[in-house]
Amino acid sequence: MKPLSEQDYYETLDVSRSAGGEDIERAYRLACATYCEDSLAGYPVFEAGDVELLRERIEIAYRILGDPDTRRAYDLELTGNAHAAPAARPGSEPASAAPAARPAAPVLAPLDTLDELEEGEGEWSGARLRRTRLRQGVEIDEISDVTKVNPTYLGFIEDEHFDGLPAAVYVRGFVTGYAGCLGLDVKRVASSYLQRYEEKQGGSKRRLFSRK
Amino acid sequence: MISGTREGPPERAGPRLIPFGGGKGGVGKTFVAANLATTLAKAGHRVVAVDGDLEGANLHTALGVARPRSSVAEYAAEREEDVRKLLEDTPFPNLRLIAATRPNLASPHPSHALRVRFVRALRTLDADFVFLDLGAGADSAVMDYFMVCDDGVVVIAPEPTSVENAYAFMRAAFYRRLKLAMLSADVRKVVALAMDERNERGIRTPLDLLREVRALDTEEAHRFVEVMRSFRPRIVVNDVRSAEDIRLGFAVRSVCRKYFAIDADYLGYVNHDAAVRASVRARRPLVDSDPRSDAAVYLARIARKLIAPRLDAGGEAGAPA
Repeated sequence: MKPLSEQDYYETLDVSRSAGGEDIERAYRLACATYCEDSLAGYPVFEAGDVELLRERIEIAYRILGDPDTRRAYDLELTGNAHAAPAARPGSEPASAAPAARPAAPVLAPLDTLDELEEGEGEWSGARLRRTRLRQGVEIDEISDVTKVNPTYLGFIEDEHFDGLPAAVYVRGFVTGYAGCLGLDVKRVASSYLQRYEEKQGGSKRRLFSRK
Repeated sequence: MISGTREGPPERAGPRLIPFGGGKGGVGKTFVAANLATTLAKAGHRVVAVDGDLEGANLHTALGVARPRSSVAEYAAEREEDVRKLLEDTPFPNLRLIAATRPNLASPHPSHALRVRFVRALRTLDADFVFLDLGAGADSAVMDYFMVCDDGVVVIAPEPTSVENAYAFMRAAFYRRLKLAMLSADVRKVVALAMDERNERGIRTPLDLLREVRALDTEEAHRFVEVMRSFRPRIVVNDVRSAEDIRLGFAVRSVCRKYFAIDADYLGYVNHDAAVRASVRARRPLVDSDPRSDAAVYLARIARKLIAPRLDAGGEAGAPA
């Protein structure tokens, strides 16, 4: 843990040195959302001027690490420095940890390692769709933007509020679009979901018929 | 395992103590603790859930124990010395409870010495896990319990008031820890100074403080760094409704690192789910009354992560050189 002014670009973005391009992209977006004036996580601690300073550092870090070429050059510079100034970081480590060989702590776990993926097989319920969406950090409105499906319907799909949904063909289309946005196996998800839908809807219809 | 020798030095075989705090009331500490305890008990672990909130006891209700026979209050009033006699069965085979009902309102809190003794006794219980559900606030009574381990759970709700209190809570926990670790009187004085947020020396963050300490005493500075490194509170965001709410956990973690030099972990989140309210009203843990509900799935996931060995960059404690 170092003061801000001494953090390298990886530390500034909270990513490990081996982070892939996507990780950096995600970390950058997270940092932007965190270090802005009305950030829920930040407002209790930010003082005047903090945000500008942090944002500036984050932007620079992202500009350097976000581009493979500048990143390579920067990495070289980092390792070069490590050789040039061995173990001369005053007190940043306890005395025993002389060599700088300690692997960097696994910093920002990407969203999907927070939870192991729900294993493939099994039923696709509305709740499971929502879990998958949230884990990927996608909002309903974003899916709606892409699929042009009314967000209310998307909500009904997650809640399995089947009575609020139109006929099965449409629902299949909605679920297909939804699953596609999350990069899921579209066919399997849609047919699994539709099976649930049919069971519930079919059930109520059958009752209707038998009453006749 | 019950080999009779309760007196000797604990063979590292005692239960793992896990406190649940977070500063603000109403964010779901009790709900989360009760459900995680039940989840682990159902998975075959022996769990003791302790209500650490003498002024607002309700862990027993969350676990479906209507009228606990005994209570921490008995211990606080020094009417009962044996912690094992406070244990109460719950509807779940591997889960026992120490309730906190019927406190003496005139002086609900046990003294500091008594709290220390209580925690020591908890460590001798025959169980795998002991959960401590703490009250709101960050006073010394709460903090003593939160200090039982390095990685207590901090429950927050995605709202400004909760986030604010969570920072205050973690900050208080960190400084308290630090003050105990520092040996020299001079350094302790500086730490005490820094604990006042309006201190005249302009010490804003632990890193500012570290600079001051280093100037005074390098030995102490090493101990300081060790405290900084070992303190790893674990965040649970409860009642999330959007992907943005979920990201709050990462954001709080980032701010903890940058502002407080506290290396918090993001343990997981629990989705907003109507089934939660229903379970609370039914006075049953959700993972029991509705294990297939959305929130129960999240809780099970957190439970798994809670007891998993931590993937750390080299164990800091006692790792051979």
